[in-house]
Amino acid sequence: MRIYEELFIVRPNATEEEIDQAVEQIRQVVTGAGGTIDKVEKWGVRKLAYRVRKYEDGYYVLVQFSAPPDAVTEIERRLRVSDTVIKYLTVRIDRKLKRLEKKRREREQRAARKPAPAAPAPGAPAAEEVMAKAEAEASE
Amino acid sequence: MAEAKGKPVAPSQKPTGTDKAIVATRKQYFRRKKVCRFCVERIDDIDYKDVKLLSAFLSERGKIVPRRVSGVCSPHQRRLSEAIKQARNIALLPFAAAV
Repeated sequence: MRIYEELFIVRPNATEEEIDQAVEQIRQVVTGAGGTIDKVEKWGVRKLAYRVRKYEDGYYVLVQFSAPPDAVTEIERRLRVSDTVIKYLTVRIDRKLKRLEKKRREREQRAARKPAPAAPAPGAPAAEEVMAKAEAEASE
Repeated sequence: MAEAKGKPVAPSQKPTGTDKAIVATRKQYFRRKKVCRFCVERIDDIDYKDVKLLSAFLSERGKIVPRRVSGVCSPHQRRLSEAIKQARNIALLPFAAAV
């Protein structure tokens, strides 16, 4: 099971039902394949950066779900066939989420270590000793 | 004068009396060291949905600003360009903007 993000654009003159229908379509495929829908975000009508099928703006919908890879092909096929959806983008985000989680943990650990004086103390004099040794050798 | 422009200049970089001849003959630049914004602000995630952030790294024409201009480090530039291309694909950012 992988986590994906589907961002798609519905044509701006679509009714509320048509938008819900598009989301419902995705939900059907995902649940049918044994996945789950995690989040549905409706951004509303936005201006498009360029013209798509002669539309200047579009209704953006973001759906986050976890599903097996085959489900994505089916979702994309359905969106491609759909008249109401003019553009879509599927992004796999589980790796990204993992990476972010790891980074966050690292940062927390570092923050927790910092106030404790034990950690930097043994490191600092050692470096000085090495420097002093090197200097002594150089002068000899 | 360098001070008048308000750019921070290290004492060692300031032209001294003996340097005057050099300053007069050769134009001096005080270039500030560029830093990667993503490293400094600790932005872990460069998301394609963050149009406001991404558009800061686009030229007027909608082109991706090169690293040598923006100062972004190479790992971040890679992520950044990836995100910009995704955003272009879903019409959040232009492929080519009208001027």
